[in-house]
Amino acid sequence: MKTTRSTAPAPTTQDEYTVDVFTVVNGAPVQWRIDTRTTLLEALRDSSGLTGTKRGCDQGACGACTVHVDGARVLSCLMLAAQADGRQVTTVEGLVGEEGQLHPMQEAFVRHDAFQCGFCTPGQLMSAVCLLREGRAGSDAEIREYMSGNLCRCGAYDNIVAAVREAAGGGA
Amino acid sequence: MTAIQSRPGAPWVGQGIDRVDGPHKVTGTAPYASDVTMAGMLHAVVVTSTIAAGTITKIDTSALLTLPGVRAVFTHENFPRLNTPPVIPFGDTPVAPLQDGRIAFHGQEIALVVADTPQQATEAARLVEVVYAPEPALLDPADGRPEPLSYLPDTHRGDTEAGWAIADVRVGASYRTAENTNNPLGLMGCVAAWDGDHLEMHDTTQWPIALRQTLAAVFGVPESGVRVHVPYLGGGFGAGLNQWAYKLLAAGAARALGRPVKLMLTRPQMFRLVGHRPDSEHQVRLGAARDGTLTMIEHRATSLSSLDHPAVGLLTAGTPQVYACPNVATVERTVRLNRRYPASMRAPGEAEGNWALETALDELAYELGMDPLELRLRNVSSVVHPPSGLPWSSNALVECCKVGAEVFGWSRRDPRPSSMREDGLLIGWGMAAAFYGAYLAMSRARVTVYADGTAAVRAAATDIGTGTYTVITQLAADLLGLSPHQVDFQLGDSDLPAAAQSGGSGLASSLSNAVIDAVTHLHGELLDLVGEGSPLYGLRPDDVVCRDGALCRRDDPATQESIADLLAGQGLLEASGDGRVRLPDPATAGMCHAGGFGARYVEVAIDPMIGRLRVRRVVSVTDAGRVLNPKLARSQILGATVGGIGMALFEETLTDPDTGRVANGTFGDYLLAVSADVPDVEVIFVGEPDRFTPAGTKGVGEIGLVGVPAAIGNAVFHATGRRLRSLPITVDQLVM
Repeated sequence: MKTTRSTAPAPTTQDEYTVDVFTVVNGAPVQWRIDTRTTLLEALRDSSGLTGTKRGCDQGACGACTVHVDGARVLSCLMLAAQADGRQVTTVEGLVGEEGQLHPMQEAFVRHDAFQCGFCTPGQLMSAVCLLREGRAGSDAEIREYMSGNLCRCGAYDNIVAAVREAAGGGA
Repeated sequence: MTAIQSRPGAPWVGQGIDRVDGPHKVTGTAPYASDVTMAGMLHAVVVTSTIAAGTITKIDTSALLTLPGVRAVFTHENFPRLNTPPVIPFGDTPVAPLQDGRIAFHGQEIALVVADTPQQATEAARLVEVVYAPEPALLDPADGRPEPLSYLPDTHRGDTEAGWAIADVRVGASYRTAENTNNPLGLMGCVAAWDGDHLEMHDTTQWPIALRQTLAAVFGVPESGVRVHVPYLGGGFGAGLNQWAYKLLAAGAARALGRPVKLMLTRPQMFRLVGHRPDSEHQVRLGAARDGTLTMIEHRATSLSSLDHPAVGLLTAGTPQVYACPNVATVERTVRLNRRYPASMRAPGEAEGNWALETALDELAYELGMDPLELRLRNVSSVVHPPSGLPWSSNALVECCKVGAEVFGWSRRDPRPSSMREDGLLIGWGMAAAFYGAYLAMSRARVTVYADGTAAVRAAATDIGTGTYTVITQLAADLLGLSPHQVDFQLGDSDLPAAAQSGGSGLASSLSNAVIDAVTHLHGELLDLVGEGSPLYGLRPDDVVCRDGALCRRDDPATQESIADLLAGQGLLEASGDGRVRLPDPATAGMCHAGGFGARYVEVAIDPMIGRLRVRRVVSVTDAGRVLNPKLARSQILGATVGGIGMALFEETLTDPDTGRVANGTFGDYLLAVSADVPDVEVIFVGEPDRFTPAGTKGVGEIGLVGVPAAIGNAVFHATGRRLRSLPITVDQLVM
């Protein structure tokens, strides 16, 4: 995980409550002029219209807002948008291929019915994709442990595990 | 169902096809209410009380209006006066908000801040200053007065005291369940926008028609001018059935300000403002002959209610239904306190009542020295519905029990407590039977066929994740002789034909029967277009079927007319049939409409040193009548099992006894089952299509939870010898 600050210029503040943020979201450069108190979750949803990322608790406890920042999974409700300055952000909208084809993890979720209401699903998917990168899909127990930061109130856990297992086996 | 099928893959009903809305959900493109934005939209945040009883003497909001972006602050002094909300059983508005300064529970809505951005509104909401005249709050259940529930009378059959007297073996104990909060992942909320007397409402309701009715009545506008949109919602589990105050707050503010208003609750507010499963206490007495035949069942239960709005109850509703015992009594009360509103949550009442009854049966089995499975099998009334004496329309409970036992390996169970061990762990096997009452509600549906060969089904239903979109698409495809991709099911819009709520496990059954009826009417509409020279001329709606874009003789499909030609002949582009649920008259049906049945088998492993409990195996067998889509129905049972594990082991909304405040109202403090808490669950369906309605379904939404807590508790007893009668069962109770 990249932990050093990027070389991009520090966010510039216009007044007490306004900040300009330059970031890259799903591969495209983005500039946000936003309230300093804006979380990354809010900036993605309200400023960029990327409403696939969901708000479930605003306290970092449910995982519905999980996105990737510089390739690592991050709870976007706990990160100020200004902290994303100069970083690469990927949301569920960014999983879809250029031709509109589903990511193998998305396909596996559909095939295994790994959701019901679908509200936690974007966060589950972003966690699941990172989980494979982290090498944490070695067993069902490991998948369960490392997916346990993503709550699913509908209780689709067994199907999520099946989807991740399949995507891991398929080299996704 | 039609007898004729020709599409590849037909019949679609019964196939585990993928969820038709799946691609929208995995790409983040499914629109939820929280995703809706409108030009000029303002953001509202609810301010809640910090006392449980009393009145507001002063609420100072003047300073807030000078903050950047703040547009309005509403209190009981300046919020629009509302008409009294209509009475809608299990779906009404408990109390219209901001109509007076009275406080009836801690966390009640007392003000609404509206600003340009959510951040501005949130900050201003924290600065509202309130002066209260507190009054002593009624918080201790012991201080309350138990009262009956109007729709749930006490029931008696036979003579329970006589049954107690003749019993060879008797058990009696008290059982308790904790308050659980629904907590769908989707925060509830809405966007309200007025245009004159017309109101557009994007919301998280499970019942669009009830919300329309409520909004129209409260704001004094025609129902025809209120339109509720809910194409997707982030779960509900009952929390979306009532027309909660936040909806009226947003609509009232939007009307007063002349701009769209978005109001999303916070997670802590989800613990306070949108219902919960209330605490319950049960006293159960059972008597049996030496051979295990039940001689009496007595179930007295009490739930906690809010001051102004009673609990759903139903704690004892399932108790008289399943077992052939001649002497049964149920008594149910509720106690009103200065607490937040209870409402429906996942098998409301029946989940708690089953926990008490099926735990007591396990205790009885041990007193008898009898296998718990044998005790159920000896007493299940599988042919006759005991309270009415009528035959069940279907009942495969015995099969549920036997199939589950076989798959689980129940016969290898050593019944002695603490007798099964593995690597220092105590292993326990427990089981419970389950029942969830039948529910059907009036629904309408419209089925339309188009000249291009496609079709649409329309109904103002919701899909809360249960699969409504998919199963109705499958059903309509079969009825119309099309493939699912040719059928578009439009729901989640109150302008569509009125449909039942997603509640009581009744929507799929209600809607299916309405769709079947609608297709019959569509046949009539199409026959009306047939010319005198046609071989179909003069046939009745039941004599024909639709198939591959043609109207065919049912008994001779080669005799047909192209639907496109029939339409073109009259200059039409479409034909529709409107249908509704048509139920047999219960008085003459000669049968009792059966609900779902089930048997749950659970293995737990307990580390006696640290009290750690793991649910290692679950076998869940369910008779839900016809299963429309086994993949989605399995997901329903899986999810309900997870809910049952949470109810048994984790979930407990705590109320501070001194202040009435929710003490653990966040996802950090309120525990619920996560992936690592859940084993692979084996889901099995048994039974036959139910004969009460043409659709043959019995509902699969809630039955899956029922029985899981008792099976877990019974497994804990088997593992440890400790009979734990209060949920949740926690680590501190298990350290040996």
